Parts: sequence; structure tokens; C-alpha cells
Amino acid sequence: MTLPRFDEPKAKPEPRFDPRATHTTHDWAHSARLLCCRVDPTGRFVCAGATDHTVQRWEIATGTKVPLAAHTNWVSALGFSPDGATLYSGSYDGRLIAWETAAAAPQPVRTTPAHEGWLRAIALSSDGQWIATAGNDRLVKIWSAATGEKVRELSGHSQHVFCVQFVPGTRELVSGDCLGNIHHWNGEDGKLLRQFEARDTSFLIADIAPFGGILNLAFNRDGSRLTAAGHFKVSNAPAGNRRAVATTFDWKSGERVVRQESVKEERDATLWRAVHHPRGPMLGIIAKELGFWEPESVELFHLLKTPSEMFDFDLHPNGLDLFTAHFDGHLRVHRCAPA
Amino acid sequence: MNRQHSPQCQTPQHVLGRRQFLGETLGAVGGLAGVSLLAEPAGAAELSQQGKSVVVIFLDGGISQFESWDPKTDLDTGGPFRAISTSVPGIQVSELLPYTSRHLHRMALIRSISTDLDDHGLAKNIVRAGRQTRTATEYPELGAVVAKGLERPGFPLPGHIRTMVSGVGGRGRDASYLGPGYASVSVGAEAGGIVNNKLPEGLTVEADNRRHDWRRFVNDRHRRRVRSAEIDAYTQTFEQSRRLMERRELFDIAAEPAAVRDAYGHSEFGKQLLLARRLVEQEVPFIEVSHAGWDFHHNNFEFHLHYVADFDRPFAHFLDDLAERGLLSRTLVIVMTEFGRTPKINPGYGRDHYPAAWSIAMAGCGIHHGAVIGKTDAKGIEVTDRKVDHRHLFHTYLRAVGIKSSGDFRIGGRAFPIADPAYGPIEELLV
Repeated sequence: MTLPRFDEPKAKPEPRFDPRATHTTHDWAHSARLLCCRVDPTGRFVCAGATDHTVQRWEIATGTKVPLAAHTNWVSALGFSPDGATLYSGSYDGRLIAWETAAAAPQPVRTTPAHEGWLRAIALSSDGQWIATAGNDRLVKIWSAATGEKVRELSGHSQHVFCVQFVPGTRELVSGDCLGNIHHWNGEDGKLLRQFEARDTSFLIADIAPFGGILNLAFNRDGSRLTAAGHFKVSNAPAGNRRAVATTFDWKSGERVVRQESVKEERDATLWRAVHHPRGPMLGIIAKELGFWEPESVELFHLLKTPSEMFDFDLHPNGLDLFTAHFDGHLRVHRCAPA
Repeated sequence: MNRQHSPQCQTPQHVLGRRQFLGETLGAVGGLAGVSLLAEPAGAAELSQQGKSVVVIFLDGGISQFESWDPKTDLDTGGPFRAISTSVPGIQVSELLPYTSRHLHRMALIRSISTDLDDHGLAKNIVRAGRQTRTATEYPELGAVVAKGLERPGFPLPGHIRTMVSGVGGRGRDASYLGPGYASVSVGAEAGGIVNNKLPEGLTVEADNRRHDWRRFVNDRHRRRVRSAEIDAYTQTFEQSRRLMERRELFDIAAEPAAVRDAYGHSEFGKQLLLARRLVEQEVPFIEVSHAGWDFHHNNFEFHLHYVADFDRPFAHFLDDLAERGLLSRTLVIVMTEFGRTPKINPGYGRDHYPAAWSIAMAGCGIHHGAVIGKTDAKGIEVTDRKVDHRHLFHTYLRAVGIKSSGDFRIGGRAFPIADPAYGPIEELLV
């Protein structure tokens, strides 16, 4: 029998997923406000879009930061190919730019003038062949990842389109606009299959400006639920008086199943993004806080405070780490496990 | 979709009934003891022939200078909107103003306004009155001063009109010592302008005339014994109400051809501008059109995207229409607001109140077209050239329409400076 040496390193136990124990592990600074972030599917890089017109790429293992500069306006949307090899960035300049994710000094591989006005959202089909974009020109567009050619244009929203997602495992899409409408499309023929609505999340101010709507859409793991993030209970829009809200639909029936008023306390906030964690709970960013709740519940079970307002976040493929993009220019890393 | 009026910075115009209109007028008169309403402004006779008008478009709440007249490319303060070229080489405005940008050759920009009040009410008071109200003295606002300065004997309409979407003839308390005859009258752009503008059913014109004859008889008899501002104001208000009723069709934009209404657009703002144009045609001295709700402490860029678009096209068409009808050469158009917005973008992507460096635009008569007065630094934080404030602007507006702003109003034997005597106009802007 061999006894272990006293100084032999013990094998670390696998971290246990525990959202109640979520804590911040890293804080990486950039000099400009961050608007969006995405983690590459291989888990090596996290990228953030900034108001200095750059994409910032951090290597997660080292925290090394590399700028990707080619846009001419705020970088508002990011997406990765399923293999992580290609990063797509979208900007208020209306352009979609493809980059080689892991290049030492990434340069644009392809630049596509995708939308008139602001490009708001990017989504990748699960087979990686299609890229969907959405913008202020009221359009959803599908692009070929192989050629960069436009495959199809989906017309039907009557105002700015804020978000787009592929229905998991299909070539169908959902898109949400600032009026609170959700469109379900067949990407193969461009036909509108059906519409959902959460119009009580949109407020038309003085018959001039819509405020709110569907800011983000997320499916759960088995595709049976679709959750829309946004705000409601707007009392004074120019002053930002509103409450964060998530609205979850049964995907098959289109019925609303849960209305999650994410923050019970009276405070001004928008739910900019909510996602279903593969292990069950939902996560969302509410002003300076990360909120956690069970999908069928209307109660938050945990809130993590951060130093600055967040406008986007993403999960690491390990299911434990998540990354938040902040107004103060910092990208923060949090672990959903005990320290 | 929920519909909301903009709850912040609501327009000060009141929706008042005809009876309330009379009551307001008398309330204002109550504070005028000892002031004669018969005072004449300096130079009114010669100006009266010119038929000039001033149209103020008041962007209530504080439009962002960055997202309008003074765009910046600075990555920290500039925001996401680009600057675009205009009809005047070398002058750029925000890309949110594509239609207005084609009219800069009819306009002038003042980019170097620096004031020191960041409260909406106080700031509106100084930009409208050209001086800060003190405890002992309220100053008449620009509309009242212009109405008096451009007053023409026998002119049948109010000289100081504020348009609103659906109004019923309320009267403002904005004339101070000039008296209620120069205070604003609010008229709506919808429902024929002034509601309750016809005689009640069952009251014949003959019977109404007999009523008024009796009122005049009693008033005159009383005035022979007692002369008071209250009675003068009563009389003036009754007579003006009758004149408005007789000319109610002037306030009805439905009388315009459909193509004209379409060209202005069917927004609340477009309708008010069309009404303003009709009033300019009638040589009304002062008209104010309000576009409310610009107080974007939150979501500044999304809101400006929609609000500036709502302003841009109707405003550009308004200038076009005035020019095509030959009216712009005798009309001064001022796009006014109470202060600018902060260079610093707050965590709600809003901009807060910023009186230190902001802009306005002007168009039409009396000014050099294509002029840009002053400038701010690259971040838009400070005025770096030709700093001016509300006192210079007040003089400038008046001088542009030929009112000698350094003169006095003689009221009740006292001299009241028309504008702050320690300041003067922006001379290089004036023709």
C-alpha cells in the first residue's frame, strides 16, 4: 500500500453549480462603455462591443485583451459560429463584420453593409450556415455564413427590431420589436408563421417615440419555453421610471405562462437580457444586479450586486462562469459556485 | 402598446374654456393697479407697416445640442449619431436632421450659449423673458414684447398666440407690466382652433349685439367716472373674443387643401406648424409652437432618434412653405429651448440638464443666413468662442424684426427697458 506524500497536490473537487453562491472572480477594464458581450463556444475567448467603436477580445485564461477595430459606430451585437472560429460583430454603423476569432491581431474577414441605420442583434443557426441580423430598418435578414450573400429578408415588423434568435435545431427564427411584437418566421421561405405579443412592455410617448418592447428573446433548453426580456409599468419614460419584467410563453401554444416581475423592490430598471441556464434557473441583468429565479416562479431567489450598470451578459460553456458587460467599461467574470 | 403623454416638462399652455379665459385675464389685471394699458412702444407706427412676424418653436424640456445643432465626434461625449453636411458648405448638423440640413442657407446657428440655470421653470423664464425674474419685478416674455413692439392699430387678431394641439383659447400670464392685452392666447390646431367659437343655440346675432351694446354703454358710463385697468382689460377681452369668433375660420387648418396638410404631416407638431403658417399669413406678430417632452435623462439616443425625426420634416417643410409664399423674408423663426444636455452620458444612456454650452437655431428675416455664431470645444463641454446668453439673444430677436431693443416702454409715466440695458444684440448676426 502506498500512502500519498504529504505534499502531493490534492485533486480539486469539481465546482458545484450553486447560483446562490455566485461571486465575482475577475474584473477586466476597458476605457469605453461596453454594450454587449459573448463567450466563444470553445470557452477560450470572451468578446465585448464598446462605444469607442471597437470589439475587445479577452483570452479567458490569461485576461489578455486585444482590440478589433473596424466599425465606425457603437458595437451593439456579437455572435460566434458554433465552432467558435468566426466572430461576427454588428454596429450602429449598420455593418456586419466577420473576424477570425483566434487570430493574433484579428482583421475583418468580410464586411457586409447589412442594415440601414443601427444593427441591433445577431444570431447564428445551430448548423452555423446562417447568420441572422436585425435592425432599425425594421428588417430581419439572413446571411450565408459561407459566402456572405444575403439569403433572405424578413419584412413585417412595423418598427425597430431589437432582437432575433433561431428556434433551437431549426431554420425558423423569432424576432422582437420595440412595439412589443414577436414574429415567428420560417427562414426557408421567409413566411411569417405566427405572432406573439407582449405589447404591455412598449409605451408610445407623446405619439412620437416607442419606449421598451422586446429587448431580448431566449429559449429554454428543450425549446418548450420562450422568454422575452424588457420593462413595463412605465410612469415617466424620459426620466427612466419603469420596472424590469420577463414574459415567458409556452412555445407550442403561444400562451403566456409566467410574468416575472424581476425586481420586487421599487426601482427603475430594464431587464436587458434573460437566459435559461442549462441547469434550470433563469438569469437576468437588472441595472447593476444579476438576478436569478426559477422559470415557473415569479420570485427572485438571488441577486448579485455589481459596481456598474450592465447591458449584456453571456454564459461560459462550462455552465459555471458568466460574463457581464458594464457601463463603466469593465467586463466582469462571475462564478455560480462557492468560492 | 401603451400610449403616454410625455409626463416630464409638460407644456405650460393651459387648456382653458372661454369663461376661464375671461377669468384668467381679469386675474392678471388684478396685479396691474396703476399701469395704463394705453402706453405706446417706441417706433410702433413705422414698424406696423412691415407686417413682420416672429415664430418661436419651443422644444420644451431641453433638446440635446449634440443630437441637433452642434454634433461632436468625440468618442466619450459625442453619442452614436454622425454629423452630416448641410446646404452651407462647412456647416454640419446631426444626421437626425436630414431635411433641415437642406435649409441651412436660410438659417443661422448659435452654438455658444452659456446660461447658469438648470431648472426647467427658471431656465424657461430667462430664455423667454431675456432676464431673470426678480422678487419685485416680472418681465414680459418675448411674445408680449413683440406683440407690443409690432402692434398695428386696428389689428383684429391677438398679437401673441400660442398654438396647441387641441385648445380652447386660454390666456397666459406672460405679459407682466405690458398688460393682459399682450398676453398669449392659446389656440388649437385641431377642432377648428378655438372651440365654443359660435353663439349658443337660440342666441341670435341681433340679441348678442344688443347684449354687447348694453355692456359697452354701462362700461362707458362707468369709465367717465372711474378709469381703471380692470375695465379696460374687460373691454379688450370681450372685444377680442368677438373678433376671434368672427374670424374663426383663420384657425381652422381643415380649410387647407389636403395636399398642403399632407405635406406638413399629420403629427401634432405638423398641424401646429400649419396653423402657424396661416397666422403668419395674417401678420400675427408673435406665434409660439410648442414641441414638448425633450427632457431625456434616460434613453437619450433612442428618444432623440424619434423626437428629432418628428421635428425635422415638418420644420423643413414649414421653412419651404414660408419661403415659397414669400413670407420668410418678413418672418423670424427661432428654434428655442431652455438649456442643453450634458456632454457626459449617464448610466441610463441619458443626458442631464446642461446650461453651460448649448445651441439654438434661427431662420428667416433680419439675420445673416448660413451664419454660425460661436463654438464649443471638441467634447462640447465649454464655449470657446463668442459666449452669449439669454440677454444677448433677447436683444437679437427683437432687433432682427426691427424693434429697437435698447429702447424703453413708457408705461404709466415710467420707463421700462425693453431688454436688459447692460447687454446688446449679437451684432454680427444681424443684417
